[in-house]
Amino acid sequence: MTAQALVPREKKIAQKRIALTGNHAVALAVKMCRPDVIAAYPITPQTPVVEKLAEYVNNGELDAEYIPVESEHSAMSAVIGASAMGARTFTETSSQGLMHMYENLPIAVGLRLPIVMGVAARTISAPINVWGDYSDVMTMRELGWIIYIVQNAQEAFDTIIQAYRVAEDQRVHLPAVVAYDGFWTSHVLQPLDVPEDEEDVIRFSPITRSWVKLDVDKPLQLGAVGTPEWYWEIRWQAVEALRESLKVIEEIDREFDKWFGRSYGLFDTYRLEDAELAIVTYGSIYGLVKKVVNRLREEGVKAGALRLRVIRPWPGDKLRKALDNIEKVFVIDRAINHGGPLIGPMATEVAATLQRPVYNALATIGMRAIDSDMIYEAAVKVAKGLWAPNQTYTIGLRGGYE
Amino acid sequence: MRIETLWLGRGGQGIVTATYIIANAAVMDGFYAIANPEFGAERRGAPVKAFLTIDKNPIEDLEPIKTPDAVIIFDDKLIDSMRFAIDAVKPGGYVIVNSAKQPEEVRKIVGRNDVYIVVVDAVGIAMKHVGLPVPNGPLAGAFSKVMGFPRLESIKTAFENQLGKAVEENFAATKEAYEVAVVLKPEKVDTSAKPKGVISTTSAFLTGPYELVGWQQVNKGGAVGPGSSLQYLTGGWRIEKPIIDHSKCIMCRKCWLYCPDDAIIEAWREAPGPRGRVFRTKVIDFDYQYCKGCGICAEVCPTGAIQMVREI
Repeated sequence: MTAQALVPREKKIAQKRIALTGNHAVALAVKMCRPDVIAAYPITPQTPVVEKLAEYVNNGELDAEYIPVESEHSAMSAVIGASAMGARTFTETSSQGLMHMYENLPIAVGLRLPIVMGVAARTISAPINVWGDYSDVMTMRELGWIIYIVQNAQEAFDTIIQAYRVAEDQRVHLPAVVAYDGFWTSHVLQPLDVPEDEEDVIRFSPITRSWVKLDVDKPLQLGAVGTPEWYWEIRWQAVEALRESLKVIEEIDREFDKWFGRSYGLFDTYRLEDAELAIVTYGSIYGLVKKVVNRLREEGVKAGALRLRVIRPWPGDKLRKALDNIEKVFVIDRAINHGGPLIGPMATEVAATLQRPVYNALATIGMRAIDSDMIYEAAVKVAKGLWAPNQTYTIGLRGGYE
Repeated sequence: MRIETLWLGRGGQGIVTATYIIANAAVMDGFYAIANPEFGAERRGAPVKAFLTIDKNPIEDLEPIKTPDAVIIFDDKLIDSMRFAIDAVKPGGYVIVNSAKQPEEVRKIVGRNDVYIVVVDAVGIAMKHVGLPVPNGPLAGAFSKVMGFPRLESIKTAFENQLGKAVEENFAATKEAYEVAVVLKPEKVDTSAKPKGVISTTSAFLTGPYELVGWQQVNKGGAVGPGSSLQYLTGGWRIEKPIIDHSKCIMCRKCWLYCPDDAIIEAWREAPGPRGRVFRTKVIDFDYQYCKGCGICAEVCPTGAIQMVREI
């Protein structure tokens, strides 16, 4: 059991700028983290990650066991088994694949296995739609996984590296998922900085193998029956670990900054300090939102923006601090909370956190195109009082509530 | 009127079915009844409890019964491990026991003088009529006798509804138990006295005698260390136990090979030889702490050296 004591470097590590798609950035980060076992089934728009990893293994660039499984259900089973043996593991999926994997997702939590998974976020059937929104990832909120939602290829690359450190931390030992926009991030070629020396990544995120695992020298049984007098206590450890992980996530993000010169925090804010209107969203459309904030500011509307990054564990206290003094909080959700108290899942959680009504609109559902003008118009309606809080609004839906 | 009962037995003895049958029959007789069993993934032989409440008025609360009016025990070997249940019976209540022992001896084991003790050899009766060691039918009969309800005809109809087979055989067993069950009256009853204990609402007794600790102390990820099954003595699960005639045993160890519980052991035995010398020989023996009495050893023994004998 190696300690995770790391000496902060005085000088940041040398990096070079390259251009990659989001998917290939994830694949590269995974390769640099040296997983022992990768199991995945290709499903659009995640396929390039799996293909690239298969290529790395085939070329001998990555010394990992690559298991081409026949479905996501088996992919998660395989990584659970491998992780229970002490292997660093990776899998990736999206949409129906995640749905098919669902049965095994809480098992990784209950067994406290630090599996890292990528999700090129995408909507769910029916009708069949291979395009992007956050319907798949949002279904994972109640399971106990750590959930990151990232903005671009650079952040996807960095967060995969951070996720291994967080998941394998002695205080955490929970699986983590890194989600990014299907197509809008997964297939978009972007510049990003990567370490010149790949060893730096493994030095930052060394494989600890410190979690509870099967070992012939120290025999154990994992996955036994948890009768009513035991289940809750065992599960509660995962609840507490997830709560504890909030601190660890921040700590590792700060340390990442020392090494790589980039950090993201639990959420990202933009011109929020004196804002009267805050636009809250997640994923790649944050760039558009920032542009809208600038435009509104030029017109005299005190606007700001906030991008949710870590949605599990929910950084409630910090969000409250950031948004409490802002009169109008406008959450643009990218997944539908069917029949819920608010039509978007994140709006529901933000409203619960602030304990007051928030404005809510849905956008990008089924990857409906969105531009900054559309967000601007919606924000103006909120600012002018044309839209009411606690109501259902949509951005881009034909005949929708506007 | 509200009668709360607790039925204790082992997986496979028909505890849950017995409560369903009595509830079914009670409903036919115009009562409200709720049979709420509490069990999970128990194996045959593991302790199981079931609750049965009968009332003149509708019942909405599925509350675990803490101080029952009657406890029905399917296996007299459970009395010691389930003493808390016997202690919880209200003074003036009933303890109905399936046992082949003499009623006075059962009274001594139960150890209470302020409750009715009902003794019936339910396994013997069931073997006679049904041909299976399932004591639930006879115990239903004993229950009907001491409670005065449900009526025997209703129990018969309940058998038809619930089992749909071997109704005559089961009913014959029920009827015989109704007739032969021995009821020992309490020596003195102080109905104002409280029971000695209450039944805990945790189901802890179902799986083992371990210490229940807080979430901070539970093994991470629910990992279970080796040797934990050693603490869990399953020997009490038996209805029949194996005995061996060493003169017939050829030490083929087929029983050892087939035993699912690792309960066949090799032991040293000292026996005098023909000229008075003492020889130490290896013999087959049983670890009765873990033997569940499945009878596989007797079944596979090629020389018939192992016999199963009734224990309760």
